[in-house]
Amino acid sequence: MSEPVVPETPQVPEPEAPSGPYVYDYAASPQRQIVMPKTVPLPSLRTYQAEVKAAAEADEAKWVKMQADFETAKAKAEAEGKDAPKPPVRPVPRKDDNDMKTPWPQEAKDADLLRLQECLGAKVEEIFEQAGELTCQVAKESILEALQLCRQDAQLNYEMLADETATHYPAATGFAFSVVYHLTSISRRKRLRLRILVPEGFQPETACAVYPGANWMEREIYDMLGIRFANHPDMTRILCPEDWEGYPLRKDYPTVGLGQRDIAFREDRGGMLERIALQKAGQLGINLKQPKAD
Amino acid sequence: MGINQLSTLEHILITTKVEKVMNWSRATSVWPVTFGLACCAIEMMAAGASRFDFDRFGAGIFRATPRQADLMIVAGTVTYKMAPIIKTLYDQMPEPKWVIAMGSCATAGGPFDSYHTVQGVDKVIPVDVYIPGCPPRPESLIYGFMKLQDKIMTSSLADRYKDIFEEVG
Amino acid sequence: MFKNEEMEINLGPQHPSTHGVLRVKLRLDGETITHCRPMIGYLHRGVEKICENQTFFQGQVWTDRMDYCSAVANNLGWAEANEKLFGITVPRRAQYIRTMLNEFNRLASHLIWLATHALDIGAMTVFLYAFREREDILDMNEAFCGSRLTTTAFRIGGLREDLPPGFEKMVQKFLAKFPSCLEEYENLLNENRIWKKRTIGVAKLGAEDAIAMGVTGPVLRAAGVPYDIRKAFPYAAYAEMDFEVPTRTEADTYARYLVRMDEMRQSARIIQQCMDGMPEGPVMAKLPKILKAEVNEVYHATEAPKGEIGYYLVGEKGSSNPYRFHVRAPGFINLQSLPKMAEGGLIADIVAAIGTLDIVLGEIDR
Repeated sequence: MSEPVVPETPQVPEPEAPSGPYVYDYAASPQRQIVMPKTVPLPSLRTYQAEVKAAAEADEAKWVKMQADFETAKAKAEAEGKDAPKPPVRPVPRKDDNDMKTPWPQEAKDADLLRLQECLGAKVEEIFEQAGELTCQVAKESILEALQLCRQDAQLNYEMLADETATHYPAATGFAFSVVYHLTSISRRKRLRLRILVPEGFQPETACAVYPGANWMEREIYDMLGIRFANHPDMTRILCPEDWEGYPLRKDYPTVGLGQRDIAFREDRGGMLERIALQKAGQLGINLKQPKAD
Repeated sequence: MGINQLSTLEHILITTKVEKVMNWSRATSVWPVTFGLACCAIEMMAAGASRFDFDRFGAGIFRATPRQADLMIVAGTVTYKMAPIIKTLYDQMPEPKWVIAMGSCATAGGPFDSYHTVQGVDKVIPVDVYIPGCPPRPESLIYGFMKLQDKIMTSSLADRYKDIFEEVG
Repeated sequence: MFKNEEMEINLGPQHPSTHGVLRVKLRLDGETITHCRPMIGYLHRGVEKICENQTFFQGQVWTDRMDYCSAVANNLGWAEANEKLFGITVPRRAQYIRTMLNEFNRLASHLIWLATHALDIGAMTVFLYAFREREDILDMNEAFCGSRLTTTAFRIGGLREDLPPGFEKMVQKFLAKFPSCLEEYENLLNENRIWKKRTIGVAKLGAEDAIAMGVTGPVLRAAGVPYDIRKAFPYAAYAEMDFEVPTRTEADTYARYLVRMDEMRQSARIIQQCMDGMPEGPVMAKLPKILKAEVNEVYHATEAPKGEIGYYLVGEKGSSNPYRFHVRAPGFINLQSLPKMAEGGLIADIVAAIGTLDIVLGEIDR
């Protein structure tokens, strides 16, 4: 007689008792999940032209295939004695009925851009116009030269650096950041954008020598994106505290941060307990006060 | 003569508790510390200015130093860099002291759910009255302040310090 | 022989005259400032990071809260930057209403500046007077968009609603009253001996320095440079408006005060022109429900009450969020010139220097 088979009860591990106060798991919180960008949205005439060309070729190939399909279908129908199929119609891109007219990059025609290209030669990587704005991309080593030219050249005469900022492109190859300088010419009522592409770790030359106003803007870029500028007079954090970890505007930094913001200053209500304790200890002749660090 | 004296005394004498008199005097002369952080500070200024006139409730004297103030109106977003300073200011205020968290930023972080924002000033200091709104209108601030006055009127000195004395022993 | 010893003083972040949470480290020799270092970031809220994770439509809410004294000007810059990114044409009526609200907002912002600046220097009465008129402007804000301070006034492509009924009457009532109010402030301050003593020759910033530091707005115009983006790069309906750009050459605190007072007069003129020439028609352009960007970058600058506010947007193909959202805040750039203004002056004058820059920490720290 065989023994009755007792089904084994699966061993359930006992839930561990919480060892301390409840701690929110920041690594698992949904706000913490980062979606890294897959594309490199760097506006460029060359990329745009390549895209347009590729799209036209794909469209043409599709049309050729449709025609070929029609021919075979026609031949098949004739052989079987059926009615001929309808000839294909080339699809026209749908026209949206709205007031939007997307500005595409265009060939540079503006005199300023041509002047820059003439003066800097091969150091200019690309010039184009988009949405009425002039963009000139220069080599990252020669940005100071370009800024000096814009400031001092009588034909250009860009007196003011309106803005300087940077963008993180983690998906790009060959560079990680683009730094853009927006120059304004007050006398000529013109704006110009200079752009450099910077890989991780590269230190572009500071613009402070030409435009002193760049000081804080470059500090902000360092604070937010972690690009250090060479020869900058004061390369420290400006918005975040000095001991902040990480660079918030990088795409791999979560919006809610790395847990720095979650602080508890409230363990002692108004410092009352400490004060009373110190007083009591003083009555007993004990010095509880720690010597100050500095 | 004697009868007259008695009736005069009845007219000029009020019998009440010391605690009630103290609460009444505290509630009707609350001096806030000038402490504008962000947008709500502008509405706080508007509440103190011509149309709304915060002075009617005894709270129009904004003190520049926390050592002369009873009330801290936290008007705006509390950031990570600012939080230790708020704590210091609060510690510098003499007891009894109250805190109003004005606006949704001071209440719970508001629209700024980001890396540098403390999600509510109550993570730093204890709060008595929360006022919702982004920013709250001056009327809301006045209503919140009147709620605080109610709280002060019903507070008891013994209750206020009970937990502290129990802990210290 | 007295020993020359420098003293370090910390001003702020909780100080009644720092307009928020500005902190300034000062080194003094007696009463003279030898070194001045503004420290900011006490109101850094991560607006740029938040807006990169919101759709194009949603970003406006955070622009309100950057420069909270002039929310409409921020909204306008934001809306126009987006329209430039997508290539949207805005109906003419919407442009006029935008221009008018922007000018009202300039009045409100300058009134707040006047009130707090005078309060810092010691004139309490102006504070009460200026807030009285400001409340009327906020009433109009409320009638138009339901909110006093954080307006969220515009939409990409135009406006959400047309002007409410009775708005014109409110405007005319205000415009009839406002010039006499301006005279009232000027009577209090223009020839006031204390005011003149505290402002004339204080916190000078010459034109060359100002341009080199990137300073814009009334501070630049008080140094004699007639740079106003409304004239230089016209936007909204400013090309059709007839107004002047007031300038001064003294480049001190008093000149900036006069420039701002004149600007308020010009704003009232622009509002009157907007009301008179208000065109009929729709207030919203035809747009798809969801805006999908193409690869594009724009920098659009408008003239906020404090100076040039610029929005830098980068669009990603097929995405409804901006890839990069950056704000060129006028206060951030203007505040850089504080050491130039304050160093060599007296400690009491740094209050005037901070006040005259008209800073709002919300936009400086963002």
